[in-house]
Amino acid sequence: MQSVLVVEDSATMRSLIASTLEQMGVPLKITEAPSGFEALRLLPRESYDLIVTDINMPDINGLELVSFVKSNEAYRSIPLIIVSTESSDRDREKGLSLGADAYLVKPFDPDDLLQMARDLLPSPQQGG
Amino acid sequence: MAVRRKRTRARSKAHSEFVSESEEILEQMREDLSQLADQRASRADPDPELVNRLFRSAHSLKGLSGLFGFDAMSELAHHLEDVLDRLRMGRVTLDSKAVGLLDESVTLFAAMLEKVGDETAQDEAAETITSLIARIDEWTLEPSRDSGQLEELDIDRAMLRALTEYEEHRLRENMRRKLSIYVVEVNFEILSFEEGLAEVSNAIREVGEVLSTLPSPGETPESQIRFSLLTATEQDIEGLAAHLELPPSSVHTVWRPAAGGETRRSEPEAPEVEEKSVPRPAADFSDARGEIESLKSISDTVRVDIRKLDELMNLVGELVIHRAAIASIADRLSADPATIRIGSELDKVHKSLERKIQGLQTSVLEVRMVPLRQVFEKLARVVRRLRRDRDKEIRLEISGAETELDKLIVEGLVDPLMHVVRNAFDHAIEGRAERAAGGKPAEGCIRLEATQRGNDVVIAVSDDGRGIDAKALHERAIEQGIVSSEMELSSREILDLVFAPGLSTRDEVTETSGRGVGMDVVRANIGGMGGFVDVDSEPGRGTTITITLPITLAIIQSLIVSVADQRFAIPLNSVRETLLVDPGEIQRSEGWEMLNLRGEALPLKRLREEFSLGEAPRDSKQYAVVVRVGDARLGLLVERLEGQQDTVIKAIQGPAKNVRGIAGATEFGDQGAVLVLDVSAVVEDAMRGRKAG
Repeated sequence: MQSVLVVEDSATMRSLIASTLEQMGVPLKITEAPSGFEALRLLPRESYDLIVTDINMPDINGLELVSFVKSNEAYRSIPLIIVSTESSDRDREKGLSLGADAYLVKPFDPDDLLQMARDLLPSPQQGG
Repeated sequence: MAVRRKRTRARSKAHSEFVSESEEILEQMREDLSQLADQRASRADPDPELVNRLFRSAHSLKGLSGLFGFDAMSELAHHLEDVLDRLRMGRVTLDSKAVGLLDESVTLFAAMLEKVGDETAQDEAAETITSLIARIDEWTLEPSRDSGQLEELDIDRAMLRALTEYEEHRLRENMRRKLSIYVVEVNFEILSFEEGLAEVSNAIREVGEVLSTLPSPGETPESQIRFSLLTATEQDIEGLAAHLELPPSSVHTVWRPAAGGETRRSEPEAPEVEEKSVPRPAADFSDARGEIESLKSISDTVRVDIRKLDELMNLVGELVIHRAAIASIADRLSADPATIRIGSELDKVHKSLERKIQGLQTSVLEVRMVPLRQVFEKLARVVRRLRRDRDKEIRLEISGAETELDKLIVEGLVDPLMHVVRNAFDHAIEGRAERAAGGKPAEGCIRLEATQRGNDVVIAVSDDGRGIDAKALHERAIEQGIVSSEMELSSREILDLVFAPGLSTRDEVTETSGRGVGMDVVRANIGGMGGFVDVDSEPGRGTTITITLPITLAIIQSLIVSVADQRFAIPLNSVRETLLVDPGEIQRSEGWEMLNLRGEALPLKRLREEFSLGEAPRDSKQYAVVVRVGDARLGLLVERLEGQQDTVIKAIQGPAKNVRGIAGATEFGDQGAVLVLDVSAVVEDAMRGRKAG
């Protein structure tokens, strides 16, 4: 089963992202992290196939998390989607230049998130 | 007391999730705003972290209300965020007008939140919002003071890229104040970094500001993590390293002010003039609020006095009793060949009546159902307060708050649940040092989870604390004479001792855990509502208390049994199975009667003896009704099984009122009173008797 890590400090937003992903039509294991620190602790425990993260969080921000993931040999290849209320081009550019694979502005259209996740999750049939 | 019932349940569920999270955010904002006002009153610079937290809160409100399509609220939050953004970016100073606008926005948002789902109210409030937003817009916007090239800094590009706009602003601001900028690098074990990191960050805050915390792979990436803390301080590099008790090699200089530069605290550009003519925001708003509240409700919700529902429930209860009487008359008529035809006609009418009463009963019960949310929110508030008072880092996670239960049960649940949560907070979750030693995150977690299973609701309270010390518990119970030392107890039975009256494994009693109210009272309260409490615990990993409750108290399904012509109703949710027992199968062991049930010994209890109904002939056949409470099973020996029945429990008046083991009485029309068994108490007494040996 493919595994997704959702990092978001708002419980409502977190469960919304998770329930959107559940509509993918493929079995997914979704782990929810309420903070960047929690995400740092969860990363070594399991091999994730996709990370979805917010930017504005209390301990470390989403950009810092992206930087960590993309600078770490073990996690570098995990596709990463930023979901943030920051709609300025600067934030999008920053996120993408740090190595995020996609950037979604809140409030988002669930179909957009589903499409992004479909595009980014390695296809299980190909053994990816 | 009044309950409220909504037809659009799916929509209201999503709404109430939104409402509860928003309320939490608003509460935090009110606290932060009052601190901010205090700082302003004492002429101190506003704490950047406080302003930033307020900004993040407004930001979350904007995101949440936008997500649920509450455009007006989202717009309001957006402007609130804007005010806070200008403040945190240092583009404006915090004057009384800013404080007023912030207060007003938060109050208005809270008022609109109360009216979520009431579109008329929302439309009416739009005007108030528009005028507030216009005033926010009027509020002068000074041009940004941000300038200075960050490109000249000797800093890792990745670190620069990972700065949010606000962090960049703080960096520029500190450079403008001619403070030195350093990167402090520290390595931690990945499983326990939080404590160490908090220590370093706090130490930096004593002499400066942490601008950003960037994690990167540590020396051994699988097990370690490195943090680079971008730091602004007046200290020189050696001073900082010494203050942090770190080798100088872990501090790198990023930027230093030009020689001769004078370090200074930021000062407001001009002395602030108190604006006396500003109307008091609260008074200003109270009018608007009155306006919102006076709107006529044209929603599909009615408020009903709970007593009227009790009356209605009683009437339904009477109908159930009469229906049962009709059923028994129909049976008697059908049994006699002379009246068999009229009997079967009555039976047909009875069947149809039964369906109608069933429908009525379901509707009335449904109206009485309220979600657990209110109780859960109350607990969340208590945990937040305890967290502040006790300085213990514990979060409460909640799920299943939308699960519904009879209002009376929800009310009866408050105290036991509060006690369980407080126990977890006070005793179960370890202090920081003990958690760090156990490789646990500094922040403890209490989970509150409700789920519906058939006609029961299961509420689990779990913590990630130290778990119950079974050995100490067992010793304590022996010491206090609750169990005998010779008795072999399974690990389950030992854990179950936490519910023994008067037992505690801690000597000190804190205010929070409540004197005298132990887990025994929790079990008794829950048992009184026809529920069970179980405990499960793993040393070092945590404890889970599981409360199982019937969805409603008013009418329950019971198994009717009789002994010595006295009939008892046994709530069906505690009955596992019934067996016909031949007297020869009953074995005696240690003064106990046992039955071999598929290879396991089932302790037996004669209901006749339990209620002193005299000796029964020992050689006649009996039935064993296997009941369970938690993991404890007991076979109740009865003489006849009379079938299942809807049972309306009524309180007993008179001398039999407080008989242990009896939860109440019910009647079946023609045939007098039937006693309803308190299974939880009967099983508990039996088990205790066995343990005491």
